[in-house]
Amino acid sequence: MYKLRNLFKYSFLSIAALVSIFPFLWMIIGATNTATDITKGKMTIGGELFSNLSMLFKMVDMKNILLNSGKIALISTFLLLLFASLAGYGFEIYKSKNKERLYTILLLTMMVPFAALMIPLFRMFANMGLLDSHIAVIIPTIATPFMIFFFRQNTKTFPPDLMQAARVDGLNEYQVFFLIYIPTMRSTFAAAGIIAFMTSWNSFLWPLIVLQSDGQKTITLIISSLSSAYFPEYGVIMVAIVIATLPTILIFFLLQRRFVEGMLGSIK
Amino acid sequence: MKKFLSILLVLVMLGAIAGCGAKETETQPETTGTETETTETETTETETTEPQKLTIWAWDPNFNIAIMNRAGEIYKESNTEVEFEVVDFAKGDLEQKLHTMLASGTTDGLPDIVLIEDYNSQKYLQSYPGSFEDLTGKINHSDFAEYKVALMTMDNSVYGVPFDSGVAGTYYRTDYLAEAGFSPEDMNNITWDRFIEIGEEVFEKTGHQMMATDPYDGGLMRIMLNGAGSWYFDNDGNPTIANNVALAEAARIYTKIVNSPMTKKTSGWGEWVGALNTGDVASITTGVWITGSVKAEASQSGLWALAPVPKLDVPGAVNASNLGGSSWYVLSSSANKDLAVDFLNETFGKDVDFYQEILISNGAVGSYLPSASGEAYSAGDEFFGNQVVFGEFAKWMDEIPSLNYGLYTYEADAAILAEMASIYEGGSVEEAMARAEEQVKSQIQ
Amino acid sequence: MKSTGKKKYINRKSQAIGWSFVAVAVVLAAVFAIYPILNSMYLSTMSGKGVVYEFVGFGNIKRLFRDAVFKQALKNTMVYFIFQVPIMLTLALVIASLLNDKKLKFKGFFRTAIFLPCVTSLVAYSILFKSMFSIDGLINQTLLFLNIIDAPIAWLRDAFYAKVTVILAITWRWTGYNMIFYLAGLQNIDPAIYEAAEIDGASKTKQFFLITIPMLKPIILFTSIMSTIGTLQLFDEVVNLTGGGASTPTFNATMTLSQYIYDLSFKFVPNFGYAATVSYVIVFFIAVLSIIQFRVAGDDHV
Repeated sequence: MYKLRNLFKYSFLSIAALVSIFPFLWMIIGATNTATDITKGKMTIGGELFSNLSMLFKMVDMKNILLNSGKIALISTFLLLLFASLAGYGFEIYKSKNKERLYTILLLTMMVPFAALMIPLFRMFANMGLLDSHIAVIIPTIATPFMIFFFRQNTKTFPPDLMQAARVDGLNEYQVFFLIYIPTMRSTFAAAGIIAFMTSWNSFLWPLIVLQSDGQKTITLIISSLSSAYFPEYGVIMVAIVIATLPTILIFFLLQRRFVEGMLGSIK
Repeated sequence: MKKFLSILLVLVMLGAIAGCGAKETETQPETTGTETETTETETTETETTEPQKLTIWAWDPNFNIAIMNRAGEIYKESNTEVEFEVVDFAKGDLEQKLHTMLASGTTDGLPDIVLIEDYNSQKYLQSYPGSFEDLTGKINHSDFAEYKVALMTMDNSVYGVPFDSGVAGTYYRTDYLAEAGFSPEDMNNITWDRFIEIGEEVFEKTGHQMMATDPYDGGLMRIMLNGAGSWYFDNDGNPTIANNVALAEAARIYTKIVNSPMTKKTSGWGEWVGALNTGDVASITTGVWITGSVKAEASQSGLWALAPVPKLDVPGAVNASNLGGSSWYVLSSSANKDLAVDFLNETFGKDVDFYQEILISNGAVGSYLPSASGEAYSAGDEFFGNQVVFGEFAKWMDEIPSLNYGLYTYEADAAILAEMASIYEGGSVEEAMARAEEQVKSQIQ
Repeated sequence: MKSTGKKKYINRKSQAIGWSFVAVAVVLAAVFAIYPILNSMYLSTMSGKGVVYEFVGFGNIKRLFRDAVFKQALKNTMVYFIFQVPIMLTLALVIASLLNDKKLKFKGFFRTAIFLPCVTSLVAYSILFKSMFSIDGLINQTLLFLNIIDAPIAWLRDAFYAKVTVILAITWRWTGYNMIFYLAGLQNIDPAIYEAAEIDGASKTKQFFLITIPMLKPIILFTSIMSTIGTLQLFDEVVNLTGGGASTPTFNATMTLSQYIYDLSFKFVPNFGYAATVSYVIVFFIAVLSIIQFRVAGDDHV
């Protein structure tokens, strides 16, 4: 019985892992082939990797583009984590009628499709003279209601006795947050960090609207314009996609150690 | 302590924002250094009306962008102080940006010159009146293909400089057709019914399908209609979808094509373009801008040829048509609009040599008629068995019926193709087109 | 009497602290969300072309009821919601709780592999899926080889299979994403609870239903509302998979509400007023579905 369950468990996870990974293999193989081979569905490694790479670097200034994306993603992740966790914690721990009303409004704003808000939002940034700047890309992401919501839901699982104990020990409310809450909830912060970085790194619509010059563009904008050519160079696009994917994988590897620590139950 | 912390909090936030602002200016020179030598001065001076800088938005790095960069270089030879920044966006992305910016009413950040697809020109002109510069009299529009100029005319004023023509042709594999017993003459000036007959024979004898098509893409339908001198709307912009003989005929041909074994059904652009390079299909009927993609597979050199597009079997239809194409527009908000107009006039408006050059290097057939007299247009192309392909295109360009596409081409396209599903399954064409017309009418406000 | 007075004072003080926690986020949200929302609400009473529009009051709402494309888009969106959200969240929850097992081998590998899909950008993964599900693509070739089908399936051009493909693609992309939230939530559950259950002889299945699900309820609620929003605002996947390319044909069988908003704003003659109205239809449905989910979860707000 036990063995049977184990067999089921491992085969289920293996299938899930295989299905998840497969398109990545295809992407890497694609990066080594020509556009024609890719449309033919060639499943073997080709010899075009370096010509694809050099073509990509000839077409776009990759170093600058990656710096732009990296800068935007890191700053916005840091600010988002800070303010969303503060707000999520504030809404859950210090409940009041007015805060609940505000919170409901915040949740409602999340439900409005971005397409409806783009034009007034663009007008605001134009009036502030912030077009074509990375600040304009970052600012609207700082108060993402979805992250506030996420932190509030997680705060519900934050043990209240821990907080009581800290208060008894003489910590003030901010110290409780910074010294007790953050370390205790580090797997929550790790998850939120991964998600925030990914969302920012892959974000497309808003950067597209506010960034104007080639020198300010991010990697997703580049991939989009590469793939819209009358004759798309799929090999080059695949290389660009591989490059665009690496940093998010890296962040995941860095932060997932938090999960492992949590699993060993080290601090609790 | 609490107060201190809350102040600290605010400071952290301000610091973070200011910090990223500071970094902004720090990285600016680095950005520009690698991009072009121009931008450093430009970022600080656009506000103070720096007079000698033109920003241009377009799509496709290998085609429009490359051509515009070349035009800029040529213009700079005699106007050394002018700088160009040609920015590349995906076509859909560019349209989205342009709509957002024009709709927001702010002129900050708009380019000086922008590329607009010809089906969309009336839509932009009528939705954002005053946003585009009237070029009547500033460009000699009589030198351009008449059907292109008609598209950019509103209230007797002409607003653009026609560029990529979109004249259509049928590219086919001579080897596959010869194997099935057809000669190039058999492809000349035929109807779509005859084309399907040939295609089915080719498929039977060689095993190669005749063409690839996306059953829900309206491109081919627009080729059929334009060649028949008919459209989804009449000249006053009223829908002519129900009871349109040419459209009903086109729907019949579409159904025949989609349900025939000679057709490879694809979805989306990549698959469709891919089918011709892999050697899967024997022909492709589309705009001249596909030439580069056809020639991309060098191993097929000498195996391709070009024929006029087949026509619908209706009165007035000709074997010449158009798909897409695009033109340049100057924005009225531009601080340098006179310069922008002069630039377009000197290059796209009169430079025959420039047109020869972009034809050779990019396969671009412009809508500028005098360019057809140039040498490059009468040269044979080895890839097409030394056929004078661009001369053919130039000849057909003159025969394309002139139409007013109106504003709602894409609405009509969407409504009709949504109904095609029922027609493919044997439903009534008349009823389907009546429904499509109702849908389009509800969208015209 | 005295003690209640003191309590009130503490309460007021802690309220002030509470506001300081939420202040920055609330101010930013007010500026960058509330204003645009009010503006778009105002716009939803207008109709016209681009910047040439006039007041129509409830005219746009009336138009919704005779708009066949809108009805089709609403129906498609609901189909995605009803099938995709439950499938994805169940999968994510099951995988997360399997991965939370201390004794599991290759845990790091499984976790990374299953999370991997959500690091890809939308553009990237739709290019990948499109090529795999094309007529001559890998999926058809494999199914043909295994004799599961006799003729290739038009995965992206058949009204039924196109929806299946979209659902498969979204599930592939977002299951690992939701799994991360569950894994993080599971970390906040004291392992001692499971150990105690183990000693009491509760089976793994029992532990899943009696410990994992109740303890994770706030997170499950969070993911289901986020998925509801994501599905109702579904756009990129559908456009990139079943449309896309230079001429972007719109395939009505998969068209979603958000795609219709996009078409109304950027592909058709721009009618930002009507587009805004369709946006608020989405808001309406999300709000209703969210309230139902909060109620089912027995959460205390909204």
